[in-house]
Amino acid sequence: MVAVERELSETPAPAAATTADAIPLKLRRRGGSPRQVLALTVVGTLALGLFASRDLPSWTDRLGDGPVAERVQALAAEWDRAMAALGLVEPHEALRSAIRHLLDWRWDSPP
Amino acid sequence: MLFPTLGFLLFFLVVAAAMALLGTRFAAKKAVLVVASYYFYAQWDWRFCFLLAGSSIVSYLAGRLIGATAERRHQRIILGSAVTLHLGLLGVFKYLDFFVLSANNLARLLGLEHELPFIEILLPVGISFFTFHGISYITDVYRGDVSVCRDPLDMLLYMSFFPQLVAGPIVRAAYFLPQLARPSTEPIPIAAALLLITGGLFKKVVIANYLATGLVDPVFAAPTSYGGPDLLLATYGYAVQIYCDFSAYSDMAIALAALLGFRFPANFDQPYRAQRLREFWRRWHISLSTWLRDYLYKPLGGNRHGRLKTYRNLLLTMLLGGIWHGAGWKFVMWGALHGGGLAAERLIEPWLGRRSLTPAGKFVATLVVFHFVCFAWIFFRAEDFAMARLYIAGLGAGWGDGLQLAGPFMVALIAIGMAGQFTPDALFERLAAGFARVPSWGLGAMAGIAVALINALGPEGVAPFIYFRF
Repeated sequence: MVAVERELSETPAPAAATTADAIPLKLRRRGGSPRQVLALTVVGTLALGLFASRDLPSWTDRLGDGPVAERVQALAAEWDRAMAALGLVEPHEALRSAIRHLLDWRWDSPP
Repeated sequence: MLFPTLGFLLFFLVVAAAMALLGTRFAAKKAVLVVASYYFYAQWDWRFCFLLAGSSIVSYLAGRLIGATAERRHQRIILGSAVTLHLGLLGVFKYLDFFVLSANNLARLLGLEHELPFIEILLPVGISFFTFHGISYITDVYRGDVSVCRDPLDMLLYMSFFPQLVAGPIVRAAYFLPQLARPSTEPIPIAAALLLITGGLFKKVVIANYLATGLVDPVFAAPTSYGGPDLLLATYGYAVQIYCDFSAYSDMAIALAALLGFRFPANFDQPYRAQRLREFWRRWHISLSTWLRDYLYKPLGGNRHGRLKTYRNLLLTMLLGGIWHGAGWKFVMWGALHGGGLAAERLIEPWLGRRSLTPAGKFVATLVVFHFVCFAWIFFRAEDFAMARLYIAGLGAGWGDGLQLAGPFMVALIAIGMAGQFTPDALFERLAAGFARVPSWGLGAMAGIAVALINALGPEGVAPFIYFRF
């Protein structure tokens, strides 16, 4: 007996199988292209590099040993120092300090 | 590789660059996404990539065989064999040691001296999710709900797509495979995606992580060291933590998929505002609850064979849903509580009535459902069944001492997490529509600064997501 391959010309609608899209249709009518996604990712990474440089050295420390990793670690430390000289690490340090106060806040003592 | 890390940002930058450079070459884009997804998965343990590939091959071949077979009986045999293979893999990696432990305990009770050895296999991250993806595809092909996938690349991508690979949402084949048939012509909803990412980061990095380290972990580790108020607050804290942790992952997965040109289904919808337990399950981990409904509850007979069988089916479905989360009696108990709760709710429905409740009635109903869910979370979070019993016993003691551990900041985090459950539905849409007017480079700068601020607010390092272990 010859096997008959079942061809479905189009995908049938699944019976109550799916749920609603997470991002509603009206928000998907307006948007961008993959190039714009790339552009915003690059800009976002740069902004992060400017304002979150304090965490860069600890992240590069986790890259391990070796000449390339050591060079990257040195660059990260240098970059962090440069950002500190420009005063860009201040928002980061102010927030860290504020959150430490909040964590230490007890019912019988003000923050 | 975790989403809220610099390593992931650099990884995504490379993927986004490839997507932009490949333009309209859709097949090449899919190939890049498969390679990227396997690279992402290999960051946990490269050996598990073979398991993922094997699972994909089983699903692909089973789908082709079902498609090539005209006889229903033969199709059923192929379906049964493929589902057994998937469940067999899941059983070996996830449940074998649990079965060995249970068998050894039973043997000790019966006075037998021989004990089975433990295998101690490392649990592959995300195995429960990709197993459910595979089963859903084969079952949908068998039911005729989805076309047979003829391109192996599509199957590899469906099973491994990195935004949902390790912790969902569970995306059905009928939902995702048609998106791989042809490139999307829709614009990418950049503003909505960035809102989901920054909101998700805040929920995970600030709310979930501080609640875990400052309240939930210490109290659940030693419940006898704290009084009732701390235990109660840690229970609320865990309810908020697990919601913020898991929904954050889902939000980021949805957003990353959207930035790559794919749609994902919603996975959470303010679950703690539910007025019925049934409604809670329509709002919590929606992709799992609908999966269990369509592939377990309904095939068991659903509510079609009388009240008693409906209760049995509800209980069985939720018990298996509990075991899906992990190998342990505490998960069985958690599932049994929800199954029993759903059955009890059906039983008393004639007395509750279907009329809409008064505002006071809605408030009481929400409060009752929330506290039932919180009670079940105790079993879910506790180290084991015995610790859960100690925890529950401790809830009634030590009320004279007040809060010992939980400070105002922890209470504020719980309040913020709960407030998020009651924001108007349209708030997100209005915000996203507003930000959509900003040019993409401006959105990128705003998102970068927002992420830097969230990073500064959070504790050092990022704890893994709770659902990675399932």
